[in-house]
Amino acid sequence: MTASPGAGPAIAALHIGAEPADIARATGWLGDLAEAGGWPQDTRFALELSLEEALANVVMHAFKAVPQVPRVCVALYRGEAGRIVLTITDNGIPFDPTSLAEPEVPAGLEAAKIGGHGVQLMRHFLESLSYARTGDENCLTLIARPVPDPS
Amino acid sequence: MHIDAEHNAAGVTLKVSGRLDTASAAPFQERLTATLAASSGAVVIDLAGVDYVSSAGLRAVLVAGKAMRAAGRSLSLVALQPPVRTVFDISGFSALFNIS
Repeated sequence: MTASPGAGPAIAALHIGAEPADIARATGWLGDLAEAGGWPQDTRFALELSLEEALANVVMHAFKAVPQVPRVCVALYRGEAGRIVLTITDNGIPFDPTSLAEPEVPAGLEAAKIGGHGVQLMRHFLESLSYARTGDENCLTLIARPVPDPS
Repeated sequence: MHIDAEHNAAGVTLKVSGRLDTASAAPFQERLTATLAASSGAVVIDLAGVDYVSSAGLRAVLVAGKAMRAAGRSLSLVALQPPVRTVFDISGFSALFNIS
């Protein structure tokens, strides 16, 4: 069991598989939560983008050539100082996206490689991105930047 | 995601609206490829109506850019909304394309 990354239990959770359509299902779910919670646009963009990039990695890499039925869970928590925290847990093969190197800056269009930008974007848009392998599960924790106090 | 093509003397302008994400990247790329094949001259991708782009959307733009470069044609991007522009900046793609 993965420990809660927030001050309490999950506010919401979504159980999905590892098909491409599950990515849109999850970002739609998050968009509804953002709408209901009145999240600032920057926070919503950062978390939707990061969730999509994280799940794209799970769909592409986590269940290649393994027999188990994919189980993926996205959970939402409130962290320190009201920060929004997402965890993405899957029962796929060990895969730590935080260990990936930043893609090289291409010299030009011809030299530019396709792919490798998802984690780079997550690192930019999030305050924190961390990975843990617990038992037979990968757990990625995404923490959004705190929302500035309007006062 | 929706695309309108406007042909003009210089080439074609593609007005894109919606999200460029994992779900829409493949149809977006197919439409781009078909438009490039059916047109000549410069291509302008107008992103004023795009409020979200992920790495999947970047990938589709990069594939189109490489095809255009190989064909000796010009591809430029215009009217990027601020968060979309940030995605292009962070990924280094802003340096690969003519953006205005």
